[in-house]
Amino acid sequence: MTKSDQFSGRLGLIFASIGAAIGTGNIWRFPRMVGANDGGTFLIPWLIFLFIWSIPLVIAEFALGKRSRTGTIGTFRIFGGKSFAWMGLWTAWISTAIGFYYAIVAGWCLNYFRLGFTGGLTDIDTAEVWNNFLQSGSQVIFFQFLVILITVLAIWKGAKAIEKVNVIMMSSLFVLLFLALFLSLWMDLEDGSLDGFLFMFTVDAGQLSEPKIWINGLSQSAWSCSAGMGMAITYAVYMRKDEDTVLNAFTMGLANNSISIIAGLTVLSAIFAVEADPIATVSQGSSAITFLALPSVFAQAPGGAIGGWMMMWVFFLALTFAALTSMISTVELCVRNFVDHGYERNRAVGITAGMIFILGLPSAVLWIEFGGDGIAFPQFLEVQDHIWGYGLMFSGLFIAITIWKYGYLRWRSAVEAGEGQPGLAGYLKQGVSAFRDDFINTGDNDMWVGRWWDVIMYIAFPVLFSVLMLSYFIDLVNNVEDPWNPGNPHGITIIFLFWFVVGALFLLLNKYLVARPLFRNVPEGAECDISMLPGGDDELVVQVGETAPGWEHLGNSEVLEAEVA
Amino acid sequence: MLLAPLSMKQSSSRAMLVLLFLAPLMLTGGLAAAAMESIALQEPEPPVLTPAEIWSQDYINEIYPWADDDEDQLQFKEYHDFESMRARMMYLASRNPSIAEFHEGLNGGVNKRGITMTKDSYEGWFYNNPSPWMKITGNVAGGDYNAYNGDNGNYEDRPDIMLVGNHHAREWMSYEVPMFFLEMVMHYYGQVAVDNDGDGLIDEDTWGDSNGDGQLDDDGDCLSLNASFQDSNGDGENCGPGDLGVDEDFSEVWITDLVNSREIYLIPMLNTDGNIYDHEVWVGDNCAGEAWGDDCRRSGWRKNLRDNTYTGVTPIPDIDEDVDSSCDGVDLNRNYQYEWGAPLGATGPLIPGDCIAGTTNNDVYNGPVDDTDNDGDCVGPPTPQCVNEDHVDGNDDDADGQIDEDWWGGNSEPETLFIQDMTEMNDDDGDGSSEFAATLTWHSFSELVLYPWGHCTNCQSPDHDQLIYHGNVIAEMTGYDNMQSSDLYPTTGDFCDWHYGVHDSYCYTMEIGNNFHEHPDDIDHISVRNVGVAFYMIEIADNPRERADLEIAGMPQKQHIMLPDNVSVPDNGPIPIDICVDRFFPWSNNSNVSHVMYRTLSPNRQQTEYGPREWSTEPWSQVGLMDTEEGCLLLDGSNGTRIRAEVPVPDDMTGELHYKSMLGTLSGAFPYTYPADSKYHVLEFPYRAPFGDFASGIMLFAIVAAAVWGGLGLSLRLIMKGQEEVEGIPDIVIDGD
Repeated sequence: MTKSDQFSGRLGLIFASIGAAIGTGNIWRFPRMVGANDGGTFLIPWLIFLFIWSIPLVIAEFALGKRSRTGTIGTFRIFGGKSFAWMGLWTAWISTAIGFYYAIVAGWCLNYFRLGFTGGLTDIDTAEVWNNFLQSGSQVIFFQFLVILITVLAIWKGAKAIEKVNVIMMSSLFVLLFLALFLSLWMDLEDGSLDGFLFMFTVDAGQLSEPKIWINGLSQSAWSCSAGMGMAITYAVYMRKDEDTVLNAFTMGLANNSISIIAGLTVLSAIFAVEADPIATVSQGSSAITFLALPSVFAQAPGGAIGGWMMMWVFFLALTFAALTSMISTVELCVRNFVDHGYERNRAVGITAGMIFILGLPSAVLWIEFGGDGIAFPQFLEVQDHIWGYGLMFSGLFIAITIWKYGYLRWRSAVEAGEGQPGLAGYLKQGVSAFRDDFINTGDNDMWVGRWWDVIMYIAFPVLFSVLMLSYFIDLVNNVEDPWNPGNPHGITIIFLFWFVVGALFLLLNKYLVARPLFRNVPEGAECDISMLPGGDDELVVQVGETAPGWEHLGNSEVLEAEVA
Repeated sequence: MLLAPLSMKQSSSRAMLVLLFLAPLMLTGGLAAAAMESIALQEPEPPVLTPAEIWSQDYINEIYPWADDDEDQLQFKEYHDFESMRARMMYLASRNPSIAEFHEGLNGGVNKRGITMTKDSYEGWFYNNPSPWMKITGNVAGGDYNAYNGDNGNYEDRPDIMLVGNHHAREWMSYEVPMFFLEMVMHYYGQVAVDNDGDGLIDEDTWGDSNGDGQLDDDGDCLSLNASFQDSNGDGENCGPGDLGVDEDFSEVWITDLVNSREIYLIPMLNTDGNIYDHEVWVGDNCAGEAWGDDCRRSGWRKNLRDNTYTGVTPIPDIDEDVDSSCDGVDLNRNYQYEWGAPLGATGPLIPGDCIAGTTNNDVYNGPVDDTDNDGDCVGPPTPQCVNEDHVDGNDDDADGQIDEDWWGGNSEPETLFIQDMTEMNDDDGDGSSEFAATLTWHSFSELVLYPWGHCTNCQSPDHDQLIYHGNVIAEMTGYDNMQSSDLYPTTGDFCDWHYGVHDSYCYTMEIGNNFHEHPDDIDHISVRNVGVAFYMIEIADNPRERADLEIAGMPQKQHIMLPDNVSVPDNGPIPIDICVDRFFPWSNNSNVSHVMYRTLSPNRQQTEYGPREWSTEPWSQVGLMDTEEGCLLLDGSNGTRIRAEVPVPDDMTGELHYKSMLGTLSGAFPYTYPADSKYHVLEFPYRAPFGDFASGIMLFAIVAAAVWGGLGLSLRLIMKGQEEVEGIPDIVIDGD
């Protein structure tokens, strides 16, 4: 009898992770950032931060999830200690809160695929289409519902289904994007200049000293890869027993950036081929580029009406797939946490999907405002993004803190046991590298990581985290009118207020969380016995199929059957 | 291989590009034509609206935003008295410490004439109150401190303006209007784009006839009302000054700019003694009912409360008795020194200083004769040759090389001394002459604008044309009549003759309203009607003479800054912004006073994914102007000269350029802004730098491709290898549960 739920193979895990990492951020945010940050110059920090921010964090996440074999709450409970389970709850909440409105955004993409496919975007005022759509609550909700439905169908059956959907969607995404890129490059060539391509790949050395370019490169890398979000922790739960972490992380990060480049080239080439002032076009908001500028640009694709039609639906289908696979990982992250705590999978999926649908409704219909240029935008949704977008950074910080804590405790106990070397030198030697030694550089890894990973986790990460946070808030203070007014939805106080309330609530909930049993999804034969982990003394942490002391009624077969199925 | 079509396609692509550029232009042209057509069609619609269809309820009910609607005094539905006015001034100063400083009287010291004065010297004779006043300017706590006057915020480069109310006690509106002005400045300073009348439009109707169509109602909202609503103040003129919808939505930015660039000395109630007496005693003794009843609305106490009763018992003046309304008091607006003492004999007392109890009250008594030897040139006993030998008239009457050094009388009262010393001791730049290039005083009544001279008939001041010019502007703004003061009746020693005659200050006397004691229902709309004048005087205070000269020549109105549509953005380098100026306009090429101000806006807040484009604004910068010696057309079609500012905008930037200009004249004044009223133009400019170059593009592409795709390929290869070693490649798609 199989007791745990796993991906069928390594590529399944990789495809699922790539699906989580690749989202709308690669396809609509990346081209905009390239446009707003001096083209090719931007690629340099963006590429550098892939290796010193995103990939190291994903390595950490894979390593954590692979050992804890639980979702985010369990992972922090096991690795951070009983009083840190709330950090996992925070991580799960941020991801789910983003999911509330992400479902709507994915719904937009789906609708635009439909419009593109049925010719509803050709020879028409794209601004009017967009305004009408956004103002029609029922339409927005319909597509939001559709997205959630597809997501639920994809994850209902657990890891193997998730894997299958991701493989299909990601493979299609590659094909679709290459097709779009082909059409787009054709346009850029026909225009005679190839300037989109040149703009995207020309470095202005003078601009490299601009802090703005580096900060934007970092934020693009931090957000688009989903590093620190807890996605990798969640999917690592379904790893087979002897799965690699490091190489998978590299693969996932590089694949993510590959797609960014293809999408960036597609969007920029098309826009540069058609627009008189392409930089002005790409420096609009993300949704404005995607839903207003691109349809009119695509309409001029080579091959007449057929070419335009092809371009339109191919691009929006790719975008929809990117959004859907990210949505799947968002929902799964939440579901996993429920299942860890003894909920039946069916029930967990139902609860999560219902919550995401209902709590997403305000973002779908509330505060549909008009910008100065007469373009509608969902202000409630935007405010949600404003509040939770940066909360994400804390999830990454919590992971780093957990690793720091593990290293310190490991060194202390070694010293107390007389095996370790006391003092700073000892800590640097045995403490700092403890997590890497114990959980990353293990026999089942294809690739081992060196000391550089410690340097990143202990020095680069906190520095970059501070830079991101500071620059964000300085930016707000400088550019937002009345930033400290709590009633200002774009202000700073509202962010702190929500963070504080949610954080405080989760701290209070911590003791209820750790009073419940935690069921680990451990594959047979895997060497990750609880006794090897920091949370080994937590007797409520058991494997799927076991019962927790005092909680025998939850260890019944119904739960297990759901798990197995 | 990809690059082959590049050269072949080049020529056809140019044509396509041109087409692409032209298409939007043609489209906008068509749209504009269509829009104009629809406007032309709409015009003949008859105006039939009601106020409620246009404005907010507060505006219709003349409820002002600086107080609750039940605070009658603050809503100008009830008169202030001395105490409530003073308390309100103190409150406003405490609430607006960055722009307003409250004072009472002056500190004193040795004044300009070498006489030692104390704080007490400026207190009224009877109730002993110094006149409260407000110093208003941006960063009022900064600048220099004036130890004599006691005020901070003295800046050498800020023109000064004196605004004085209530010389005459019974002229109640003459202190309500300055209080209304004060409330406005305190409330609107620093605000932007306030919709003052609640019609959804911003700053659409400022004071005066801005668009030159002969109607004060620039936005046509009053004119669009049903005729029965067009004369809300009941003065018989439809959509005239003071009516709802006329000059009702001014620019708050303009007010803020004025406060930041001027020093305003506001003295709402000069004659505190007389005013308290009128409110508390005179009206009670003399009126059957309210002060504004038919028997009293055009009478009341006028002078200050100097005790000049001759009783034969006590010394003259006796200072120990109650006010004798039949004899006491000096007419403050006859007490200034310039041509004091009625050379014309028209309204002054025949024997100055002679007032006997029980005789007829002389309402225009100008104060006692000053028989002291002011210049100290008497060697022996006083003689007519050494006393009063050179009275104040701007001439060297005794041919001793000094002008106006031994006066006959005048400036004998605490109130006039206060004005005298405040004026003479306010010398920010230390050049020995007063700073007040413009002065304004409010009186009641007659609905007139009066300019100097007052002391002579059939005479003209040297600035006659210029004074008429500004007077006409003010008259247009208020609907009052503009005339020389002496054409109403000759006066002696009045405020404006003194300021203009002695201190070369352009001075206007506003005779507001139709009564001394106006009905309280009329306070608000009379205030509204008159308040714009104060702002106008503040604006011209930098150099009223030159402004008038230029305005008379009509230059500033003809001149214009290039509209965004006419700016041609070059392929690279700075963007030229031109101003078309009259060939004779004396513009200064000093970039401190003549320049184009600009700022760029570029998209910012990269984190916003779903909202509208967010802009980050840079602070305003300025760039000087140079003469291109090219011709251009002025607004009236005549030829002008093009002067140009090269606005530095980086080639690799796209966004909006905001620009406006300030054009100073050779005299050092900086009076003209284009566009007017602190507005600015918005030009969208494209990215102009090359998009990239081929060699480095290919190079970076190779690097990125190698790093990302190469890395991905390597990773996948390693994975495949690992899979083979461990257990072979599983069939991932088909495999499942």
